[in-house]
Amino acid sequence: MGEEIIKKSQVVVIGAGPAGLCAAIEARKAGATVLVLDENDRPGGQLFKQIHKFFGSGKHWAGLRGFRIGENLLKEAGQLGVKILLNAEVYGIFDDMTVGYIRNGVEKAIKGERIIIATGGIENALPFPGGTLPGVMGAGGVQTMVNIHRVLPGKKILMVGSGNVGVIVSYQLMQAGAEVVGIVEAAGRVRAYEVHLNKIKRAGVPIYTSHVVKEAIGKDEVEGAIIARVDDNLNIIEGSEKHLDVDCLCIAVGLNPQIELPYIAGCKFSYIPERGGYIPVFDENMETSVKGIYVAGDVAGIEEASIAMEEGRLAGIACAGSLGLYDKETEEKLKKEVKKILRAMRTKHDSRIIHSLTGIPSNDRFEKGPVAVIECKEEIPCNPCESACVFGAIKVGEPITNPPVLFEEKCTGCGRCIPKCPGMAIFLIHKNYTDKTSLIKFPYEYLPVPEKGGLVSCVNRNGEIISRGRIIDIKASKKDDGTKIIAMEIPKEYFNDVRGIQIRGDGI
Amino acid sequence: MSHEKNVCICRCEEVTEGEILRAIEEGARTVKGIKIRTQATMGLCQGRTCRRLIVNILSKHVDINDISKLEIGIRVPVRTIKIKNFIYDEGKGYE
Amino acid sequence: MRVNYHPILGKDERKKLVKIVVDGREMMAVKGEPIAAALLANGIRKLRKTRKKGEYRGVFCGIGRCTDCAMIVDEIPNIRTCITPVKEGMQIITQEGLGKWERK
Repeated sequence: MGEEIIKKSQVVVIGAGPAGLCAAIEARKAGATVLVLDENDRPGGQLFKQIHKFFGSGKHWAGLRGFRIGENLLKEAGQLGVKILLNAEVYGIFDDMTVGYIRNGVEKAIKGERIIIATGGIENALPFPGGTLPGVMGAGGVQTMVNIHRVLPGKKILMVGSGNVGVIVSYQLMQAGAEVVGIVEAAGRVRAYEVHLNKIKRAGVPIYTSHVVKEAIGKDEVEGAIIARVDDNLNIIEGSEKHLDVDCLCIAVGLNPQIELPYIAGCKFSYIPERGGYIPVFDENMETSVKGIYVAGDVAGIEEASIAMEEGRLAGIACAGSLGLYDKETEEKLKKEVKKILRAMRTKHDSRIIHSLTGIPSNDRFEKGPVAVIECKEEIPCNPCESACVFGAIKVGEPITNPPVLFEEKCTGCGRCIPKCPGMAIFLIHKNYTDKTSLIKFPYEYLPVPEKGGLVSCVNRNGEIISRGRIIDIKASKKDDGTKIIAMEIPKEYFNDVRGIQIRGDGI
Repeated sequence: MSHEKNVCICRCEEVTEGEILRAIEEGARTVKGIKIRTQATMGLCQGRTCRRLIVNILSKHVDINDISKLEIGIRVPVRTIKIKNFIYDEGKGYE
Repeated sequence: MRVNYHPILGKDERKKLVKIVVDGREMMAVKGEPIAAALLANGIRKLRKTRKKGEYRGVFCGIGRCTDCAMIVDEIPNIRTCITPVKEGMQIITQEGLGKWERK
């Protein structure tokens, strides 16, 4: 370890992403000395390239864009005096809990009484012919280039993989002005949450389920792609090939935990394919099989950022407790709160009969005046719509994975819930706006923004143009953070079909 | 997974799926076994991209549940860093 | 293909530019951005040629993991351009194989 005297910190956190920052914040709150090491030149992990609004609990910054959550976490960490060392590449964990890292070309080491590994995940590669051509990129890299460095990797993009990452990055590519030529998914159904998928469908992006990329074409870089249909065993069906004119393929086929450090540290592992593969075994405190070494976030199994943050909190509290910085009672109380949130976020009621109450108003209610239409029926851990409604017309309750229910008689048609839904799944519909027309208000996050008074092409849920509409109003409030609310007059017969406008369409 | 045997698995050392399957035919049953036969995982990135793919291919031939039996080849340093960072010079300190 | 206007992130306000030289060709880059981003913005996606098969490679992971974007930067080969910021006057060369390193 060289000649240098090894420095010490009660808690050393590796990785300044959502899990690492939350862990550091909690350990510091208890009074521990905390050092966070991160190899990047900016903290926040993957949060700063997440420009969409996050699902989650209203209490925990749900409805905020990922980078805003990152800003909040950094502010909190800074106020508490958490020390974050950037450009610090951790290359190993050694005996006696020493963490070795390289910074500015110099080898350094720090000893932690507790170590929290929060190194996140790494993207899965997908082998296919032509898969090494320039122009084939991972979704994470694409997101970094587009949302942080503001450069598009191509003009016409094929997304490979229909998980949440695939559909979210597709949406973000369109926001940045690229064309998403299609989404290819080997499985027979789309994997992402329906509300994320619906945004893409409204934009008219073709979804090719039971399809794979047979080949990326191009001499020296991507000039096209051939996709093909597959059978249930994922074998290509001869003759089903289709050529797509694309200049970039974006690969979004899942992540796996970055386990190098827990592996080096001697942690035991289990193999859980649905969580990304090999995962260090950890207990209810997030402590691994090696005493004093904890894991949190995607390295402990691939889940969502909101869960990573809670796991980080749990690890931070547990570390502080084991260092004697909390009395047993306080520690247990704090851990119980986090565990309750974690449990709620992971709750699914697969076998339960979902109640018949929904977010969709009755026919009678549509006749009576403007009303919210909540097209969200999946079990997502998310509830900002509930707190957005000051009239108590929207109920999610507990667990947080309940789909929202609309109490239509309480809904005043104010529309405050529209920009609050991270899934952009709430619309306001005034069926009897005039004798012949209805008014629909919907969220909009593309450029260019249509002009007030202008005529536009209206699309249905599948992105098909079904009518013409007139833009009545556009609301752009600072607190909606970029989400515009468009009010549009449409022929009454389409009140239940129109859900948006053609992006970069003729009328704009 | 892939549909042609000459598809690239290890991007750094340019090792194809066919070469990895041949290594398994020759008796490779671990990541190390494949590495010493094909050079897969030995490039600049040190297996960060292909290790998982190789384990997936191996899974059709061996039980992969126990990571400790796969000689998976993760070792220090786990980051792409320069050897010169480890050289200590009496006069100048670390290079 | 820069994203100058964005519905959420707003107008790109970064104004400071630096000059880089890529295979002898001068071009402009935004100060502080990674080399690979600057090259993409200038329409360059082929960053290196592989050692065995002589195939072109470009940015793949974009976060410093895969090393596919390695180039020769200021005479040092195997520099991961996706995580190395541009500097004024930087000399960047398409890397062939493992690249050449002139030891001084």
